[in-house]
Amino acid sequence: MVVLSIGDFIGKFHPVLVHLPIGILLVAVLFYFLSGKEKYKSITPAISIALFIGMCSAIASSISGFLLSKTAAYEEPLLSRHQWFGIATTVLAVAAWVLYSKHFRQFKWLMILLSLLVIITGHFGGSLTHGADYIFSSGYKSVEAPAPQKLIPDVQQAVAYTDIIKPMLQAKCYSCHGTAKQKGKLRLDEPDYILQGGKNGKIFIAGNTGESELLQRIVLPHDNKEHMPPKEKPQLTKDEIALLHWWINSGASFTEKVSALQQPANIKPVLLALQSGKKNEELAVSFIPEAAVDNADEATIKKLRERGVAITSVAQNSNYLAASFIAVDSITIQDIELLMPLSKQLIWLKLGNSNCTDATISFIDKLTGLTRLSLENTAITDNAFRQLKNLTRLQYLNVAGNNITATGIEQLKEVKLLRNLYIYKTDISASDFANLKKIFPRTMIDTGGYVVPILNSDTTLVTKPK
Amino acid sequence: MTQQELHNWRLQHDAQNKYLQHHTRRHFLSQSAMGLGALALGSLLGCGTNKTTNSVTENFFDPINPLAPRPPMFPGKAKSVIYIHMAGAPSQLELFSYKPELAKLDGQDCPPSLLKGKKFAFIRGVPKMLGPQAAFRQHGQSGLWLSDNLPHLSTVVDDMAMLQAVTTDQFNHAPAQLLMHSGSARQGRPSLGSWVTYGLGTENKNLPGFVVLTSGGNNPDAGKSVWGSGFLPSVYQGVQCRGEGDPVLFIKDPDGMNRDIRKASIDAINKINQQQYEEYKDPEILSRIAQYEMAYKMQISVPEVMNINDEPAYIHEMYGTKPGEARFANNVLLARKLVEKGVRFVQLFDWGWDAHGDSPENAVDVGLINKCRTVDKPITALILDLKQRGLLDETLVIWGSEFGRTPMMENREGKTMPFKGRDHHGAAFSMWMAGGGIKGGTTYGETDEIGYDITNGKTEAFDIQATILHQLGFDHEKFTYQSQGRPFRLTDVGGKVIHDIVS
Repeated sequence: MVVLSIGDFIGKFHPVLVHLPIGILLVAVLFYFLSGKEKYKSITPAISIALFIGMCSAIASSISGFLLSKTAAYEEPLLSRHQWFGIATTVLAVAAWVLYSKHFRQFKWLMILLSLLVIITGHFGGSLTHGADYIFSSGYKSVEAPAPQKLIPDVQQAVAYTDIIKPMLQAKCYSCHGTAKQKGKLRLDEPDYILQGGKNGKIFIAGNTGESELLQRIVLPHDNKEHMPPKEKPQLTKDEIALLHWWINSGASFTEKVSALQQPANIKPVLLALQSGKKNEELAVSFIPEAAVDNADEATIKKLRERGVAITSVAQNSNYLAASFIAVDSITIQDIELLMPLSKQLIWLKLGNSNCTDATISFIDKLTGLTRLSLENTAITDNAFRQLKNLTRLQYLNVAGNNITATGIEQLKEVKLLRNLYIYKTDISASDFANLKKIFPRTMIDTGGYVVPILNSDTTLVTKPK
Repeated sequence: MTQQELHNWRLQHDAQNKYLQHHTRRHFLSQSAMGLGALALGSLLGCGTNKTTNSVTENFFDPINPLAPRPPMFPGKAKSVIYIHMAGAPSQLELFSYKPELAKLDGQDCPPSLLKGKKFAFIRGVPKMLGPQAAFRQHGQSGLWLSDNLPHLSTVVDDMAMLQAVTTDQFNHAPAQLLMHSGSARQGRPSLGSWVTYGLGTENKNLPGFVVLTSGGNNPDAGKSVWGSGFLPSVYQGVQCRGEGDPVLFIKDPDGMNRDIRKASIDAINKINQQQYEEYKDPEILSRIAQYEMAYKMQISVPEVMNINDEPAYIHEMYGTKPGEARFANNVLLARKLVEKGVRFVQLFDWGWDAHGDSPENAVDVGLINKCRTVDKPITALILDLKQRGLLDETLVIWGSEFGRTPMMENREGKTMPFKGRDHHGAAFSMWMAGGGIKGGTTYGETDEIGYDITNGKTEAFDIQATILHQLGFDHEKFTYQSQGRPFRLTDVGGKVIHDIVS
């Protein structure tokens, strides 16, 4: 293993070594072309030396670069491009030196190609370490990450500027018009600066959206030079533009509450969408929760995996989890207890086709984040609903194939978000079902028991054309 | 020393002997002083194995646990897929594509405008037009036109999204099947099921992630490469199970070998493989080890899940299944069982839909109707059964084929065929999807009034693949595998998600 660490060590020198072939090979090319002129004839002997040292340093850079690529994570397509251009440069440098030392002199295209390759390789290398947008970007990474707008408990009581407009400007404008930079001499991070405007003077006239440069430039076509934010930056959404428009139109106050401002019909739903709370939740059932959540506890996940539980996040960039006990032979109460540290993250849980009883899942009410729960073909009874009714975020519940009755199901009436309920092969009668439909008007209740009729044609064969 | 230890020791001893006999040039290279440099140069020049560094678009492959469940790129509506492929290409004109205008042209010569510059697999000269050989009716709230050949399926049209303008540039079975399943008409690319199990792993570690079941008496023309893993690690290829007898050949231990001895030999083989791995670091060796262990587990789990005898009578009645027979209906029921058990991708092929009109079995008014009768009921039962079990919303069901059939009657070698048949036709055909976040009761795409060409909503194999991946939570443009120095996609350089049929 000593060998490997030497490799790692050599790799570390790549960032230093690369400068040598870049400089020396370019100088060699320069000397080659200069030596054609009578005045510089005397530098001819230096070409061979420069090519030789350039070649050696190119080989050293290639090897160290290769070793470095094995030790750290780099962006893949860029890495292999850099690698192959680097190798091509080295090969060409070797070729140039060999040809030159064999007194072959007419290879100006080879020299031009060599210098191009050096530049391209260098560029890719630079992109790897400094990021692909390094050259053309301003060099500033926006300080405030554009966080999704926070939900407001009661939008009517919110201050229009502080709670709605300011976070929007912060996310989309501050990076160029804030403390760090003031492009166009404009700052948008304080009310005074906003009123002061930029190099063209005031940026808006309260109550007159038509005359407001701020709005005009936001709504310009994206490829217009004057469009703001610049097209490569995150844009304002339709709703955000509507809110800005509404705020300026209603007087651009920095202190008024939303309730004090006029609210035309088109802005009401936009404002409501900013509001969190029970009322809004009832309107929309989202596939996964929008609120962010902390990373799940790795040790717990590891323990569950050792038990054979298939547990992963619901998506690569999400901390929410989905767990399936399909491959677990016999589920115990301890297994369910293992899930407790994940109560915030766990949203989908499959416990179906198992030996689960009411006792096994007696802690399940602690998993309040659950939106989908499969409990089909288990041994649960109506008593399980004493726990299940506390899972108020449930959207999907599958209790098919269990000895349960309508008395159990009815306890779920406070689970307002429930949209899909599966009760196939349970002890729920047709009259109970009619009653349940009244109790759960927004829920699709599937009682199953579908029949595919037996038709004569199913089993007979056609032998000749009609 | 117990018998088991002795057995173990002998096996290892034999293998060591064999191994030492193979001490070759490779060892000289890898162990001599030049070895490291030479190997490094080898990798530099591109002869090395796949890179194992981790980065954003790097291949992710955990050789020890290659089928461990993995998150999709974004939360997917579908968790598993049942892909039903009718090998041989059923006629859309007798099933899903209602063309009353074509009936009026029945028996007339095909106008030259349809033939100019076109090539067909068998049609030569000027063929006759052939009207629809089935009656059509509207069904469900969506009012979808469906032929009387599918009386059961017509009851679930509101769960289905019809694609009426699917098109392909291939007119022979094997390349067209490969294109549909692997995104390339030539062999060597991974199949859809391989991509999906590579991307998502599988929920049940005791079963394969990608199972293939065939019926109709033959494998599809494209052979096993249509469920092959291409350049993906071989663990992602489809596992073909048989409908009758042992689901996997030689799955039972031979007489006289008990399960402990089997375990001991697998442990011994794995031990040697582990040594080999430590020497060469080839991840395929770890894959092999994992495969042996999985095979051992599957000896118990597969016969269990592949057994439909324990299903209640009303389920057999619903699907039209007959335990012990090799038939499509049994495979459909198995597909449901497999998905219920956490298998990620089930691929069904049913052979025998190639209705050229050369025999009664291959006539659109005889054999095709009989084929329909073998699939209509089980497919309908599958949708309803998945629904009542709460599985349909996360199981994507796809029905399709490699191409469709011509509105003209086939005239092989310019002669009239003994029965009514149609030639291969890639320009326009129909497929449908259901479940897995697909909007039921929708139709996408239209064809002209005789179903010869598409008029809007062109849907290529790539679009279908993109949509399937999208439902599972993958952006088909970013879901790549690095091979031969460049990233590969299932959808190559094409494909757009059909948002019109996605809810």
